[in-house]
Amino acid sequence: MPLLLDIVTTSAILFIVAAGLMIILGVMKLINFAHGAFLTVGGYSAYLVTDYGFSPWLTVPFAALVGFVLGIAVERLVVRPLYSRPLDAILATWGLGIVITQIIVFAFGRGVQFAESPMSGTLEVFATNYSAWRLVLVLVAVLLGLGLTALLYLTRFGLNARAVIMNEDLARGLGIDSTKVRITTFGLGAALACTAGALITPLLSVDPNMGLPWLVNSFMLVLVSGVAIPGLALASLLLGGAQVLVSTFVSPILGGITIVVFAAILLRIRPKGLFGG
Amino acid sequence: MADFESSVSARNRRRFWLVGFVAVMALAIVYAAPLFLDRYLVNVLIRALFLAVLAITVDLVWGFSGVLTFGQSAFFGIGAYACALLATHYGFGPLWFFGAFLIGLALAAVTAWLVGILSFYHGASPLYSSIITLALPIVLVQIIFAGGRFTGSSSGISGFPTYYWAVETWFVIAGTLLVAVACFAWLFVRSDLGRILIAIRENEDRCAYLGIPVSRIKIALFTVCGAIGAAAGFGYAAFTNVVAPELGGFLLGTESLIWVALGGRGTLIGPIFGAIGIDVTSSYLSGSLPFLWKFIVGVLFVIVIVVLPNGFASLVTGAWKKFGPGRRSPASGHEHGSGSIVLRTAPAGTREVTGDQSPIAIEGLGCRYGSLSVLADLSFQGRSGELLSIVGPNGAGKTTLMRCISNGQERTAGTVEIAGQEIARRSPERVVGLGVGRSFQNTSLFDSLTVGDCLRLSRYRVDGARLFRRTSHVSLPAPALGILKATGLDRHLDQETRYLSHGQKRGLELAMVLATEPKVLLLDEPTAGLTKAERTAIGEVLLSLTTTYGLCVILIEHDLDFVREISDRIVVLHQGRMVLDGSVEEVVSSDLVKSVYSGHGTEVAS
Repeated sequence: MPLLLDIVTTSAILFIVAAGLMIILGVMKLINFAHGAFLTVGGYSAYLVTDYGFSPWLTVPFAALVGFVLGIAVERLVVRPLYSRPLDAILATWGLGIVITQIIVFAFGRGVQFAESPMSGTLEVFATNYSAWRLVLVLVAVLLGLGLTALLYLTRFGLNARAVIMNEDLARGLGIDSTKVRITTFGLGAALACTAGALITPLLSVDPNMGLPWLVNSFMLVLVSGVAIPGLALASLLLGGAQVLVSTFVSPILGGITIVVFAAILLRIRPKGLFGG
Repeated sequence: MADFESSVSARNRRRFWLVGFVAVMALAIVYAAPLFLDRYLVNVLIRALFLAVLAITVDLVWGFSGVLTFGQSAFFGIGAYACALLATHYGFGPLWFFGAFLIGLALAAVTAWLVGILSFYHGASPLYSSIITLALPIVLVQIIFAGGRFTGSSSGISGFPTYYWAVETWFVIAGTLLVAVACFAWLFVRSDLGRILIAIRENEDRCAYLGIPVSRIKIALFTVCGAIGAAAGFGYAAFTNVVAPELGGFLLGTESLIWVALGGRGTLIGPIFGAIGIDVTSSYLSGSLPFLWKFIVGVLFVIVIVVLPNGFASLVTGAWKKFGPGRRSPASGHEHGSGSIVLRTAPAGTREVTGDQSPIAIEGLGCRYGSLSVLADLSFQGRSGELLSIVGPNGAGKTTLMRCISNGQERTAGTVEIAGQEIARRSPERVVGLGVGRSFQNTSLFDSLTVGDCLRLSRYRVDGARLFRRTSHVSLPAPALGILKATGLDRHLDQETRYLSHGQKRGLELAMVLATEPKVLLLDEPTAGLTKAERTAIGEVLLSLTTTYGLCVILIEHDLDFVREISDRIVVLHQGRMVLDGSVEEVVSSDLVKSVYSGHGTEVAS
């Protein structure tokens, strides 16, 4: 039973972490390799909030705000000239990640910090005691999935974004301000990444390179998902589950590369991902 | 002819002399430098020289062929660990040392080959190869971690037996390796094959339809670069006497991209200086300002990618072009002065028309996307010397038909035989080998290549390409030469194709397709966007292809007057089905065709 909970919670965490990357790739056709650094920024935002003695529950909205502002600034300065050069955009955002990481090092040093958790202790589920925060994250993941779907299908912004996804030129011709859609999307994606960083810090420590391992896994998950919300949920469940199983029964070291290897194989068989056309 | 031969070899000889001269100068510097530099700098430089070799391989793979690779470091790591592991666990001595070197190279080459097979296949997205090269170093590092005591896990191996030669000796070894790799890379990228790499970078799909085995070339390049990377890693490990998982890690992989990007991708010399400059500076600053230096490199990297995509080398070559003496700049690849390519007639009949077999026979062809049927149950044959037009309203499936004939992986039912041979599931480059030439609806060419380069690369299938040399003639079959003469392109062989007019591009494209010596020529709206005069000229060319050279031409065309003038036979498609297959008169007088075209019916009948 703990194994099943491990699988579900791991998948939930992966889903939360990858969501921001997917939103940006989906709407902007751009792979944001600064995603890992954004997660780190989220982690440090959480650390700051609790370090100043505010309630740990404020970490999430604060991280979201920081992420949104950061995302908008980055879109304007770095990403905008690179829309026609997708491979270069990967490199530029990667460089940006290095810059952000170094700024964090200047500000906080290279050491490991800890952020306070909004909820500690365990809950009893199915007759086992299980980390309460991990269970909360499952709920968060579900709400996030529903929220993003609602945003895309029930709001004006979602309609515009979907129009830009399907046919940007036509959307522009119809008077949709694609620049605005993009800047909002990037802000939203960065906000989601920072929020995810804040959400996972209670489980981990905060250090300047904390986002890096998540970056590669999120990237793989998003591609496997076929850039769709249900696809991402399925990919997180499949690959996250595989990771937990390999880590438990084979070796934790190999568990670390399960997602990467499975994703590489899956993408060879289905180049457009699980939910791709 | 003798004149051409001598000018060819003279040009190649001049180039070899130039490269040889530069190599000797560089080696002289390598031998002399340790005498003038302080010991610490020499030590730092030796490592930087090995890393510069790695940077060259990244430049070849990314800068020249356009494959964004994060994983070149993995090969470096494989070479380094081959050195450390064999010396630690098995034995040490000249034979062991050399054996370990060969094992490292072989292991890296095999890994690269497997990665290449996995990531380069027809239709692979450029992103997929990046994903695989990203996964490679991550997997390698985890394998090293999993190796426990054997591989030294995360702390690596140090103090294994190696040759404790004087630093001057190591400097000469590293420098010689770098000069040798750089010079061969230089000759290679300027060779015929090097041009093909650029063509692949610019328009991979078009290369495949010219019969160039794109995947095979990329896999071969990747394999060789993997082995070179391993050689550099081996040297690095043998000199530093320390190996750690970082040598094969993803971060070194991205760092090598930074060197190449800052130095200038696709310039060879830029990445070398990029690697040496950044690595040496970091060694000096890592003591005093470690974080600041990394920060500056990061900022520079972002700025260069955004505003100076070709790196700092482009500043130098830009200044050279503006202020430098003469118009020939040795660093930027604009070496092809006037008259560097001579046209020749290829020996005729390299491809015999095979008896009475029809050059193309289609049987029960169908193509579906999921539940949507685009083509169903199509059967017809084409004869030698026949001009067969395919007409039908938009969405009738004409272009899909072209795709199904030229790429074995497209159709979902039926068979296509070219001169009696099934195309089966062959990829486009192999269908070209059977004798299908296809021109595209849009004039997709290679912008930065010259007309002559384009013609030469379209002869790759027949004539191959030289690895380190540039041939300065290209042999073309008579019909291709005819088109070049008719369009005046034979006088503009040194023009880059982006400066050609639309009509000239059409002509060049047709000449390139004909250069592959097809039996069946597929033309998708060859007259779109042409003037009346150009249209007439194309019509005459097509007629001569069928009547004089006996080709089977299949033409998709919207201009029905044009179709009527030149066709021998017309096939009418409607909603993915063949509604008529007959002579021009039969089709023109058919009521069915009028109803298919409904509004345009009168136009057909007039």
